[in-house]
Amino acid sequence: MKNAIETQNLTKVYNNNFTAVNSLDLEIPEKTIFGMLGPNGAGKTTTIKMLTCLIQPTSGHATVGGYDVTKNPDEVRNLLGMVPQQVSLYKDLTVMENSQLCADYYGIPADERDSRIEDLMELVDIKYARDKRVGQLSGGQKQKASLVASLVHGPEILFLDEPTIGLDPTTKRTLWDLIRELNDDGRTIILCSHDMHEVDMLCDNVGIINTGNLVAYDTPQGLKDTLLEENKRELTETLSQIHAENDEERLAELENISLRKMSFLLQEFDESVVSSIEKNEKVKDIEIARNGRVNLKIDAFDDSVVHEVLNDVMSSGGKIKSIFTEEPSLEDVFIKATAEVDEDARA
Amino acid sequence: MLELKKFWWMIKKELISLKRHPVRLVSIIAFPIIMILLFGYGMGGEMTDLPILVVSQSHGNLTDLTLDTIKDTETYHVVEIIDDVDDGKQRVESGEVKAAIILPADYDEDSSQQKSVTLYLDSSDQMASQILESSTQSIFYRLSNMVASQTSVSTKNADIEPSVLHSLNNFKDDVSLHINRIYGNIKYIDFLVPAVLGMTIMFSCMMGMGATIAGERETGELARLFMTPTSVSTVIGGKIAAKLLIELFRALILILMAIILFNVSIKGGILQTFIVLVIGALCFVSFGIFFSARTSTQEDYAQIVMPFSMPMMFVSGVFYPIETMPWILQKLAYIFPLTYLNDAMRGVMLKGQSLGDVWFDLVILIGFALLFFIIGVKRFNRDV
Repeated sequence: MKNAIETQNLTKVYNNNFTAVNSLDLEIPEKTIFGMLGPNGAGKTTTIKMLTCLIQPTSGHATVGGYDVTKNPDEVRNLLGMVPQQVSLYKDLTVMENSQLCADYYGIPADERDSRIEDLMELVDIKYARDKRVGQLSGGQKQKASLVASLVHGPEILFLDEPTIGLDPTTKRTLWDLIRELNDDGRTIILCSHDMHEVDMLCDNVGIINTGNLVAYDTPQGLKDTLLEENKRELTETLSQIHAENDEERLAELENISLRKMSFLLQEFDESVVSSIEKNEKVKDIEIARNGRVNLKIDAFDDSVVHEVLNDVMSSGGKIKSIFTEEPSLEDVFIKATAEVDEDARA
Repeated sequence: MLELKKFWWMIKKELISLKRHPVRLVSIIAFPIIMILLFGYGMGGEMTDLPILVVSQSHGNLTDLTLDTIKDTETYHVVEIIDDVDDGKQRVESGEVKAAIILPADYDEDSSQQKSVTLYLDSSDQMASQILESSTQSIFYRLSNMVASQTSVSTKNADIEPSVLHSLNNFKDDVSLHINRIYGNIKYIDFLVPAVLGMTIMFSCMMGMGATIAGERETGELARLFMTPTSVSTVIGGKIAAKLLIELFRALILILMAIILFNVSIKGGILQTFIVLVIGALCFVSFGIFFSARTSTQEDYAQIVMPFSMPMMFVSGVFYPIETMPWILQKLAYIFPLTYLNDAMRGVMLKGQSLGDVWFDLVILIGFALLFFIIGVKRFNRDV
């Protein structure tokens, strides 16, 4: 499969010596939906600006549809469509006028222009508001109008920056369907979003960017599976070592595991073990199954809870026979991936 | 062809916005009217109807003639004619009137002795006192010629003790002065209006460019244009074309208002005045582009432009001739484009010069416009 976007060592250093993007290597296969994730200030926007030829890279290379962003910016611009987070259409012009303006700026032949716009309006379902001023539209209608204006030149690659932020659930679903439809038509879509559910559901691949670097890249399921395996391995390895060596100090190794649900089976069920866990405020819910398995719901945003719970169990004399954790969410993957680099950066 | 279409869209967009927001259209028309009213009436008018008292201690033909002349003079508004000198002085000191003209007791007596009229003046009001002093002098100068008698006016400054007293004796037309005004009788308003037109265009161009470039950068419309395969100069050129059109309209209103409200004579003709204003507008629009090239918000733009536009207004000879300013400001004036616009406007409007006569000013303005445009486009940041 060919790549719609490729970057090698792509770097952007701003005038104030701030490195926003640091040697980014990224490949986005064509005709896929790629989710670009990352905390605020991680370098996503700068990456997009370089790919859409709004700013020049400091070093490295980037190609869009095979064209170099620095050498052939106009060819790149013709291939790209962008739906920004903030709707950037002229508020005093109607949906139709805004689309016509965009079409003329892209040099669409006059005889094709209006029929193309009408078709897109039909596709996006905004035809009923074609003669309404953009300033009078609702949030969802504005996004649809913005989509029409961004698609008017038939771009192969579409950037969507937080396209559903602030929209009601019904409109959100309509837009999700639309994104899938646009992808089915053969467009590559790059979706920037903080809505993990949206990304999980729509994207073929996800890349997590932090402090200007790509820190994780896989399918959403792949990312979750990797984290699940990692958590399981870490928990069981550490526990078996503790039991084998009777060295409770090793518990400290679990300090960075963050889980939302976990369950364990004690070798001998002991009420005092359970009551010692109950005292921990970060443990939200404790359920004891008939077979003695203790199921816990915990605060996923606190890295120290798993370590604290196991510490409580052991110090009240309990011995864990087996331990389980369920599949993490994409949000867990995000937190884990961005936390690690955060610490590296701090170090 | 394609670029023309893009230019046209910027103009069309401005016109559609105006059509859909009549308030904006009203403000485009109202702004020049307010400016010209404010500066024309506020600063360009003459001082008339200044409240005064006349202290008359005698009766007779000369007294009657004097009182009638004073009453007929527009500068004065005679509040009362009294005969008590001390009361008159006290009312000047209390601020009730600006001055008291005190005619002496022997004013009507036919004698060869010099008669001493006193102008008891509130000199704390500098503008009014200057005008009162000069018009009183001229009245008694005329009167003394008419009656061929010796009259003198002395001015006493009410607030300064002891009063400065100076007499102007023996008005005689020994020396005759002929004044030959080469451009006719030019009033301050005539001097002011050409520069007020220039200044208004400067402000609206510079502020307008901020809204159209920095404002659209802030709200993201500019980014959408820059994502299309379009050069910076085409986008900016379109913006200039649109802005210029609005400014032409504004310039026309300004000129018409100056004619209607102040009866300002435009010796060089409306068309030439209009062309000069358009060249000025082009210069200031480019100036705006130069500053908005890298500013990311409208607020930043306003902060950056203020330190240039305000001094330009005061230094470039809008209100006072440049030659009357301290030398450092005079030098500074020559680096501000408004100076050249004012000079060209006065040349065309007051002196009846042709565009060829003010070519130097126009070349400088076009030079500034090109320079700012080129630097602006080069510095321009596509980034949002």
